[in-house]
Amino acid sequence: MRLAYYPGCVAQESGKELDMATRWVAKKLGIELVDFPNFSCCGSGFVDEANLVLNVALNARNLSFAEKAGLDLLTVCSTCQGMLSLANKKLELPAIRTRVDTALAQLGLEYHGKTKVKHMLQVLTESFPPERLRPLVVRPLTGLKVGAFYGCHLLRPADELGWENAEDPHSFEDLLKALGAEPVMYRGRVMCCGFPILFVKEGVANQIAGRQVEDAAAHGADAMATPCPLCHISLDSFQNKAAKAVGHKLDMPVFHLPQLVGLALGATPDELGLPRHMVDTDSALRRIGTVAVPG
Amino acid sequence: MVESVAVPISVYRYDPARDATPRYVDYSLDLPRHTPVLTALLKIRSEIDSTLSLRYSCRSSICGSCAMLINSKSRLACQTQVGPELDLHGRVVVDPMRNQPVLRDLVVDQGPFWQDYERIVPHLVPDPAHPMPEGKPNPMTPEQVDRFYETPRCIACGACYSACPAKEADPTFPGPMALAKLYRFVVDPRDGARRERLLRIQPGGLWTCLRCHLCTSSCPKDVRPSERIRDLKELAIHEQGATEAGSRHAVGFKENLHDRGLLNEMRLVRQTDGVVGLLRQAPQGLRLARKKPELLKKPRRIEGQDQVQKLYELLEDEEGGA
Repeated sequence: MRLAYYPGCVAQESGKELDMATRWVAKKLGIELVDFPNFSCCGSGFVDEANLVLNVALNARNLSFAEKAGLDLLTVCSTCQGMLSLANKKLELPAIRTRVDTALAQLGLEYHGKTKVKHMLQVLTESFPPERLRPLVVRPLTGLKVGAFYGCHLLRPADELGWENAEDPHSFEDLLKALGAEPVMYRGRVMCCGFPILFVKEGVANQIAGRQVEDAAAHGADAMATPCPLCHISLDSFQNKAAKAVGHKLDMPVFHLPQLVGLALGATPDELGLPRHMVDTDSALRRIGTVAVPG
Repeated sequence: MVESVAVPISVYRYDPARDATPRYVDYSLDLPRHTPVLTALLKIRSEIDSTLSLRYSCRSSICGSCAMLINSKSRLACQTQVGPELDLHGRVVVDPMRNQPVLRDLVVDQGPFWQDYERIVPHLVPDPAHPMPEGKPNPMTPEQVDRFYETPRCIACGACYSACPAKEADPTFPGPMALAKLYRFVVDPRDGARRERLLRIQPGGLWTCLRCHLCTSSCPKDVRPSERIRDLKELAIHEQGATEAGSRHAVGFKENLHDRGLLNEMRLVRQTDGVVGLLRQAPQGLRLARKKPELLKKPRRIEGQDQVQKLYELLEDEEGGA
């Protein structure tokens, strides 16, 4: 399998551990990741608030490179997935299509709407179902109770993302089971992490993140896992502030999705960048018989 | 004869005048799979417990009275069938809507919901420059109507208000329904208060929206409030520029990508919150940078950044709201 790899900004910057884990897992599973050094940021749900058509055009440019190479595009971020899918959807509107096509033509580019955008969770679900994944597991995550945290833009709006029930999803839990972990069901798993207003209304954002972590903990989670590095910023990087906002101590390791896959397939904590997390992951690693070497 | 299945239903029961705490009461009914949850609740009330309180009227997804939580989702009870809920959850759990105080059982106090609605001045404000023709219709073009054809479908059921995590965490946020309605007046060519509306709503909560799209998922009429809120944000920036933390963040993000094509994380904090904000975030930033040193570096410049900059030039003056 060959896919155009769209890491997004955070996985190339402060969330580099997500990129490390993605590359490790892809290699292990025989997925060839094709890098495109000309991919720009997806707009992250902010650029469209300032200028929707410009944001669609930025992503049409990104999508055009994958289309020209004849590749579907792999994302590892719920927000990138949402914004690139939104561009494909908005390009169905003739008024936007015309403006974007005209602008792209001036760059010598064209995009015909053929690039399929798939998040890693979808690729794993479709191409590595449990019967195919389970035999590859060398370190089953047995005994680890994990609260999956989907991230809004992987699920909603449902007609734009369109591959899973937006309010009752189960692909992430199915994957966790295949890895040997025990999924924890809680309301927060399909809720917002607060990230979009983290730098706009920080107190509200911290409180929202804190509630989801508390919810997962109250349902017995030893750890959380997310397919979105922006959720990871809210839930891990800012967990100290989330704890203050809800007035409780929080100590919840939060994994990126491919990190848990990597652990089950035999990667070391270092290879997956676990020492880069703000909340120590050792308590979770001890449950599956491996502990991070301090980085 | 349609086959019936056993339907376990847990219903939230609470009478603040008599009960110390809420409780769930379990019922089991034999019902065809396509039975609406509302019908099941009315069957409980007529055959098992006549004290069960709930709001309903039309049973046809028109009146918007029977919104409640069904297996945690904000839904119209008359529009939600028991069969798919059993498939996903093995039972049907019914709670009152969130973000509104419970009066009794499944009935909530909708006062705050309507007060938030009134805040947006939900009626046309005549434009003195273009008075309404007296006794005659005031026609709009199909293109003008197309801009807000979704919002008049709203039946004010409150499902979006119940589903909204911003409302849950910040009671001053007006909620999705009020903002979707506000959009409807802002783009109505007959309204004379467009600018005042856009100026007033920015400190009034527009930028608290998380664009989580939970409102759009829960809406029984596909009004798509989260998308109308996005449109309002773009219109507000057009009207007033980047004056609020939220609009500075959106415009700052856009400018941020112009140089390198990838996000410069530290620079964005300064763009949103100025130097003071950067200083306020400094302890947290330094704490993070110890493990994530990339935070202190500029991102690489993407190949073909000149193409990105050209797109900015070509599309800078676009006004979306599509």
